[in-house]
Amino acid sequence: MKNKRLIKIKRAFVLGLVLTLTLGCERDLTDDAVPATFAKVGQVFIDDFISMGSNFYFPFEGSKLDAFSVDTEEGYDSSSSYRIDVPNSNDPTGNYAGAILRIDGAGRDLSGYDALTFWAKASQGVSVDAVGFGQDFLENKFQVNASDLSVGTNWAKYTIPIPDPSKLTEERGVFWYAAGTQATGGSGYVVWFDDIQFENLGTVAQPRPAILFGNNQAEETFTGATIELTGLTQTYHLASGIDQTVEAAPNYFAFTSSNISVATVNELGVVSIVGGGEAIITATLDGVDADGSLNITSLGSFSPAPVPTVNATNVISIFSDAYTNEPVDYYNGYWAPYQTTQGQDDIEVDGDNIIKYTELNFVGVQFAVDVSTIDVSQMTHFHVDIQVQGNIGSGDYLQVKLQDIGADNAFGGTDDSADQLTLTNTTLVADNWVSIDVPISDFAALTSRSNLAQVVFISDATITDVFVDNIYFYELSAVPSEAAPTPTLPEANVISVFSDAYANVAGSELNPDWGQGTVVTQESVVGNNTLKYAGLDYQGLQLGTTQDVSGMTHLHIDYFTANSTALNAFLISSGPVEKAKALTVPTTSGWVSLEIPLADFNPVDLADIIQLKFDGNGDVYLDNIYFHN
Amino acid sequence: MGSSIKNKLSITVFLFTVVTLVTFISCSTDETQTVTNLTSLTMSDEFNAPGTPDPTIWGYDIGTGQNGWGNNELQYYTDRSENIIVEDGMLKFTVRQESFEGSNYTSARVLTRGKFEQKHGRFEARIQLPWGQGIWPAFWLLGDDSNGTEVWPQIGEIDIMENRGQEPTLVSGAIHGPGYSGGESIFKSYELTNDRFDTGFHVFGVEWGENYINYYVDDVLYNQITPADVPGEWVFNDDFYIIMNVAVGGGFVGSPTDSTVFPQEMLVDYVRVYQ
Repeated sequence: MKNKRLIKIKRAFVLGLVLTLTLGCERDLTDDAVPATFAKVGQVFIDDFISMGSNFYFPFEGSKLDAFSVDTEEGYDSSSSYRIDVPNSNDPTGNYAGAILRIDGAGRDLSGYDALTFWAKASQGVSVDAVGFGQDFLENKFQVNASDLSVGTNWAKYTIPIPDPSKLTEERGVFWYAAGTQATGGSGYVVWFDDIQFENLGTVAQPRPAILFGNNQAEETFTGATIELTGLTQTYHLASGIDQTVEAAPNYFAFTSSNISVATVNELGVVSIVGGGEAIITATLDGVDADGSLNITSLGSFSPAPVPTVNATNVISIFSDAYTNEPVDYYNGYWAPYQTTQGQDDIEVDGDNIIKYTELNFVGVQFAVDVSTIDVSQMTHFHVDIQVQGNIGSGDYLQVKLQDIGADNAFGGTDDSADQLTLTNTTLVADNWVSIDVPISDFAALTSRSNLAQVVFISDATITDVFVDNIYFYELSAVPSEAAPTPTLPEANVISVFSDAYANVAGSELNPDWGQGTVVTQESVVGNNTLKYAGLDYQGLQLGTTQDVSGMTHLHIDYFTANSTALNAFLISSGPVEKAKALTVPTTSGWVSLEIPLADFNPVDLADIIQLKFDGNGDVYLDNIYFHN
Repeated sequence: MGSSIKNKLSITVFLFTVVTLVTFISCSTDETQTVTNLTSLTMSDEFNAPGTPDPTIWGYDIGTGQNGWGNNELQYYTDRSENIIVEDGMLKFTVRQESFEGSNYTSARVLTRGKFEQKHGRFEARIQLPWGQGIWPAFWLLGDDSNGTEVWPQIGEIDIMENRGQEPTLVSGAIHGPGYSGGESIFKSYELTNDRFDTGFHVFGVEWGENYINYYVDDVLYNQITPADVPGEWVFNDDFYIIMNVAVGGGFVGSPTDSTVFPQEMLVDYVRVYQ
């Protein structure tokens, strides 16, 4: 008995071997081949739903939820069809009809079909925005969109090819559509679908996949940037002679980078720049080379613009990752016919979005037509970070223009106003970020600020390549809203001139009469005594006794100014010998605590300090002026 | 291959008839049809010698003919290897979009005139067609002109296979003779179901006898034309030679469009003639 049984097993083994060998000759199974165990039903709606389960209708958000019904009078070759009543654009219950049909239950194996087909007609000739399959509100892994499907008033058959049927071994999203009224002037209409099914037509041929809509796109970028490949399409020639193009989800494609030390690309078509150099991203779909490529030149590491520090509550932002931005019409309007400027918010480096303009002559960021204009009348300052690429010649300039369209909220008329700031090589620095902070009042001809519509950059091609970031308006309060930070250094390490925290040098004159126009007062800010210079031109501070600060290392100053555009601090020794230190103004995020190394004041004699002095303009608050080590 | 201009309605009606007939014929052969099986090989080219086509069999038509070969065709025919070559066991026709001698397209047209001509027999070729709007491949026979004493359509024309590139599932076979030429030719279409002519090879042939021409695609006999079907003289009892070509544009197909992909290829696996 035992022996017999052994023989049987041996036979089975031999048979198994033979079968395996035969299969091996016929076709190599790929590693990710999975035995298909799902239903191969192709039919979705043939006068009624086929094997869809009970809970299969999922309308899109914002769509009219009950736009779909089964029509029991109309049908293709029948008296039943899938009907959608596209609502008028002003329908409060939803202004379009869109939904997915997702199988309630296990997915289907559609790998034996080559197309989704259906018959359709409409109550008037319409262009249906999109029809497709593969959308399941889960991963939408194999989504396919056929856009702008022209549907007439007679029944006609439509064929939506499957980009690569072998991918659809377990698909639940068997049909989806979105139909609005943009092309009908807002008027609703009816579309009937019937005989919605996957078919193996055998005539879907000549695949021509593409990425980036078949363009060979060049992109200059940086390490850390990510670029999402778009324009992923598959085109088939149908028996009717029509070339049917569909948008295909990235998962249908296999992406390749020619140089993975520069760029990598994942299965979702997201390119990550990982180093400097050049790389070319290409793709195939079911073994067919896709038209189009992304030709990357990575310039290596990238220095982002300084992160804004102004409190978000005081900001109206047009373009910044630090704030919530106002909606815009665009970051580049490509104004015909004279604009040459290319590029917009194209660069994203480690989550930081940057506008890149090339071939600049002029370009506008607009917020007026599809979105509301912006009221910046409560704002006091305008900020923008600019990095000019390449050399800046002596006659080169970049103007930043603010355009308001006035109370009529329309371009033209008598209430438009605008003014501009002109930046030259005295401000701009080649290949470096420069932060521009200017009072809006500097835009003197901008007489209205309640309906701001554009920020325009103009170089007349003197400067052609720029990065722009952090375009925002902000309000600087004229008065500090909080006290300067309380010093924490021990008294022993400090020689204090003006502070509530320390014993100050006795007998000092805070307002010596040097002929200045500055009005000096001491004001309490949140209970803290503060020195205020109003209308600063220059202002001295006479120490009660000569101070030897050679044992100290730093001069500490807390300062605040909303409106100063120039401010210098001086240290003075006998002679007099004086040396200025420029302070950054205005202080856009409250008090600035500055530690100035005393060495910066060379050649002032640190053993013989007699006076301090400030010059500049605006209204300046000072506190905690002391030497320390 | 003569220009065939028909109004849309009649074509539509005709195609409908064809589809019905095809279904019928492919199921069983009509009793009244003459069916023969000619198996004695008189000429074959299997295209196994790479390079220029066998000069003992094939010659060329060069240029644009008169008025685009009588059909306002757009291509310039050449004998360059860029347009016609034997490669990988195939005769390969390559249709190019290029500026050449005043034309915007180049292609090739080979013929056996004066090299191989035969009266009656079975003529067949195994071909994968090109595709796309405005592409017009053909495999056809033309009657000898008796040293210039006869002119078309008196010499007779047997179109074994013609196709419009925009109709990848359809081919047609036609005859032209006196009183039934050009748009009045006697023809019938054949449609593949669940397949196309540009994605694989198919055999196109005629079996031609004294009073009949039978048309077939692969193993399907889809038409027979006899003297009773033509309104004029039956001019098909004479020597005919073979022509194969791919035209671009012309009245039969219309012009190519931006969506037409170039280059296009027609691959011929073999041409065989039996008696």
